[in-house]
Formats: sequence, C-alpha cells, structure tokens
Amino acid sequence: MTVIALVVFVAAYVLIATEWTHKLLAALGGAAVLLALGVTDSEHAFYSHETGIDWDVVFLLLGMMIIVGILRRTGVFEYVAIWAAKRAKGSPLRVMILLTLITAVASSFLDNVTTVLLIAPVTLLVCDRLGINPVPFLIAEVMASNIGGAATLIGDPPNIIIASRSGLTFNDFLIHLAPLVVIELIVFTLVLPRLFKGSFAADPERVDDVMRLNEREAIHDRTLLIKSGAVLLLVFTGFIGHSAFHIEPSIVALLGAGLLVLISKVPTRDYMSSVEWQTLLFFAGLFVMVGALVKTGLIADLAGWVGDITNGKPLLATMLILVVSAVLSGIVDNIPYVATMSPVVLELTKTMSDPAHVHALWWALAAGADFGGNATAVGASANVVVIGIALRAGNPISFWEFTRKGVVMTAITIAVAAPYLWLRYFVLA
Amino acid sequence: MPSAPSTRSEYCGNVHADQMAEDFPVVTLDSDARDAVKLLAERRLPGLIVVDAKGQPTSVLGASQVVRFLVPSYVQDDPSLARVVDETLADRVADKLGNLTVRKLLPSDPAELPVVNHDDTVLEVAAIMARLRCPLVAVMKDKEVVGAITASRLLELVMPH
Repeated sequence: MTVIALVVFVAAYVLIATEWTHKLLAALGGAAVLLALGVTDSEHAFYSHETGIDWDVVFLLLGMMIIVGILRRTGVFEYVAIWAAKRAKGSPLRVMILLTLITAVASSFLDNVTTVLLIAPVTLLVCDRLGINPVPFLIAEVMASNIGGAATLIGDPPNIIIASRSGLTFNDFLIHLAPLVVIELIVFTLVLPRLFKGSFAADPERVDDVMRLNEREAIHDRTLLIKSGAVLLLVFTGFIGHSAFHIEPSIVALLGAGLLVLISKVPTRDYMSSVEWQTLLFFAGLFVMVGALVKTGLIADLAGWVGDITNGKPLLATMLILVVSAVLSGIVDNIPYVATMSPVVLELTKTMSDPAHVHALWWALAAGADFGGNATAVGASANVVVIGIALRAGNPISFWEFTRKGVVMTAITIAVAAPYLWLRYFVLA
Repeated sequence: MPSAPSTRSEYCGNVHADQMAEDFPVVTLDSDARDAVKLLAERRLPGLIVVDAKGQPTSVLGASQVVRFLVPSYVQDDPSLARVVDETLADRVADKLGNLTVRKLLPSDPAELPVVNHDDTVLEVAAIMARLRCPLVAVMKDKEVVGAITASRLLELVMPH
C-alpha cells in the first residue's frame, strides 16, 4: 500500500507540475485511484482531520470567495488605485511604489489572484495615460501580491492550509508573519528602482491625462459598498477574536458570506460565479492523496528522515525548510507543496519542546512557500494570471523576463526572512 | 417541374442562398483599416467579407470585432474603468487605426469561415449563422463569392408580414 500511495502521488505531482493534464484532473484522478485500490477509504478521506479532506480549508476559501465576489462589485479597489496614482502626481516610480503597496495590503486580505485581477486593469489604464510600458508595473505588482499575501491567515491559500494543520490562529499570523512582511515590503520598495531600472521615463505632458481620471466614478453603488464594508469588518473581528469567540475562521467566513448575500441582494448566479469550484475540488483531491501518505506512514518516515539529516537541530531544520520551500515553490505550485509539507512539519514539531522552535518551522514553511512563488513565471497562480492579462493587452511578458526578476526578488526576500527567523525564534526567544 | 410555392413557409423552404444573397462590399487582408471601418460605419453594415489576394474569402470582419479592437483590454476586463475616463471612444479611433491593415483587426485565432453554398436552404444558412454567431455569411458559387446574406436579410425572409 505504501508503494502504491507513493507512486500515485508522485505521478499526480508530475502531472500537476508539468501541466500535461489539467491539475484538477491529476488531483482528482490520483485520489480516485487511491480510493479505488483501497489505499484509503471514505472514513479516512472524508471524516478524518489527519488523513482526509480539510473541510476548514475548503469552506474558508468558499466563504471568502463569495465575500470577495460581492466586494469587487463595489469598485472600491479601482477608486483607491486611481486615487493613489493621482497622489503620485504622475511620477512613474511613485505610481509603481503606491500601486505595489496597495496590492500588497489588499493581498493580505484578499486572495492573490483576485487582487491582481483588480489591480492589473487599473495599472494598464494609468500606464496607457502616461504612455509607458506597463510590463514592469505588472511584474512588480504580482511580486508585491505574493509577498503581501504572506501577512495573514487568509492572504494566501498555503497559509490557510498551514493554519488548519498547525492550529495557528489569525492573530498568530498577524503577530509573527505580518512584521516580516512589513520588513520585506520596505526592502522591496528600496529595490524597485534598481530592479526595474530604465522603466520610469514618462512624458511630463501626459501627467494631466492621469490627473483627469475621476476615481469617484468607479464607485457606482454606495449602499453595496457600505454593506460589504460592514460585513468585512465583522468577519475580521471574528478572525481576530477567535480566542474570545471560539468560532473557527471557516465558520466566520461562511457566516459572513451568508450575511452579505442576504443583505446585498446580489443575484445568486453573480456571487456563485465568483467561486472557483475547480480550485476547491483541486484542494479536495490533494488532501485525499496527502492523507493516504499520512495513513500509510510515509509522511512520518519523511519527517524522521528530515529530523535525521538536520540532526535534531531546530535552526538547521528551519533554514532547510525555508530554502527548500522557496526553491520548490518556484518550480511547482505552492499549494500542493504546502499541502504535502504541512504533515511533515507537523511530525517534526512533535519532536521539539521549545514553542519558539515550533513556530520557527511553521513560519519558515509559510515564508518559503509564499515568497518562493515569485521565483518563476509559473511559481504562483497570480503570476500566470498577470501574464495572461498582459498578453491580451498587447504587452507580452516572456517566461525569462519574469523569471530573471523573480529569482532576484525571491533570493532577496529569503535572505531577509532567514535572519528574521534566526533572530526572533533562536537568538531573542 | 415543381409547382410554385403558394405560402411564405413553402417559399422559404425552397429558396436558395444565391436568391437570398445581396451584393456586399469585400475588403482584402491588406486593405487600410480606417477605410474598412469607414465603410462599415457609413453603410451601417454588420460586417465585411475579407478576401485574400486571389479573391477567396478568408474571414468575416464583424462590426462588433472592430468595436472590441477599439476598446482597451483593461476596460473590457474591468468595465467600471470606462466611467473614470473622461475621453470618448471617438478620441481614440484615429490613433488606434493609424497605419493598420484589416489583417490587424481580425482575431489572432482564425475562426471557422462563415460561408454557405449557393444552393443551401434558408435553414442551412440560419444554422451556420447560429452556430458561428456571425451576423453575416458569404455565399459561394464555383469558388467565388457571389454575395452575402446578413442576419437581418434572413429574418426578413422568415418573418410573416
């Protein structure tokens, strides 16, 4: 059974990484084979928290997708982005810095793909007004999105998986990862002028074209904006107040989505169209496959092997997880990677007595996987989405054009994360 | 010899594409884009038949395709941005079409050619239009374009007076 589980898992992983078949087909196909061969069963696949589908993750994503689907109809994101571009007074560098910071902040509360879908059209509009190439701006924004998404539990799907497996709360992410993300964004902002050198020359006469944009017109339903804002506030209160309310984030998100649907009166078809069913099913398939590895004992063996090669040294294990996660997340989607590695890290943490070291391992996994998504053009779903938008707008971004910048940025973010983890969880702990 | 159709439905059943076809302007792939758009606008046509250097039809340039070309992709992705811009579409047309040929206005993925044979029936023509969602089909006879049928011409034939 162990060999079958491993072979099916590796085959599905190769198909997901190479995109020879649709990733949903690979994940569900792998799960189906494991169920058909009896490697796992319905009890383990559907009802076990350790070896089955993590319904907290699936329903948290579902709830947030519905909330974001309604929120994006308000136009508030376009309003803020255009307002910022006007505050930058048409200076391309200032425009890039402000738009990337907005992207990073938005990404910490919305999923990365939604964020770039919202920011990219505004960016194309502003660059069109200024008569400058939008490609550097789009690349910078998707990088900011991948960095900013690391700040909260709901910012990036890998964080949702990590939270569910580790038991870490929304506030844990805010306290431990958000400060690292703030440092990363400061460094990112300082690096931008050099990373995109030569991309900031604009005709001063075209600045007026940006200043004439009317951001107020972006918001066409103020009532919906107020209702969405109020529900979002309630949802975040629920996330932050987890220790007081004892309501899981998935339940908070579902209740928030239900409330917003009720009071917004948005047609069912409209808000349901914002749910990425394929993503949710992909998660389900992945969880069944990884659960089979846990059930057969492979994950425990892998964790033991990692423990052996790091010789039980928490700092070495932390750095190894950080670097390996960054490298592998640049090659394969970080969602399947984290879904696989979370049980491994969970096993490793069982051997550690110091809570600071336990934290270090989880944050190393989150930082490595989230920041590693920047390394290549296919490292994260948001990268692929932005490349598609750029192509449609007549500004193609080649794999290497993205990857050249991405590898540099990933190296910098990991170089910043490593001393942060070392200082906070080993030196100052 | 078949008897003459006595009702409108019988007539529609017997009429062939070449009887429905009307004279229709054609443009080549290398025609000036501005001239082609001007032709569409002045004669309020649903589209233009595009032919190659040998006069063979290669595509239909629908008016809606031209509109799609003129509207920036970012506005198509996020229609709320159309409200924040103070310019009219007219301000951009001359810029967007400057020095372009018809070839540039066509979609990069060539769609199936909306052509019918001269002896196809009304239903066959309607089926092609519906399947390809094209408001215009070229009518071919002996590998030559003998005219075109628009959706409005087809509806004129099938609707009772």
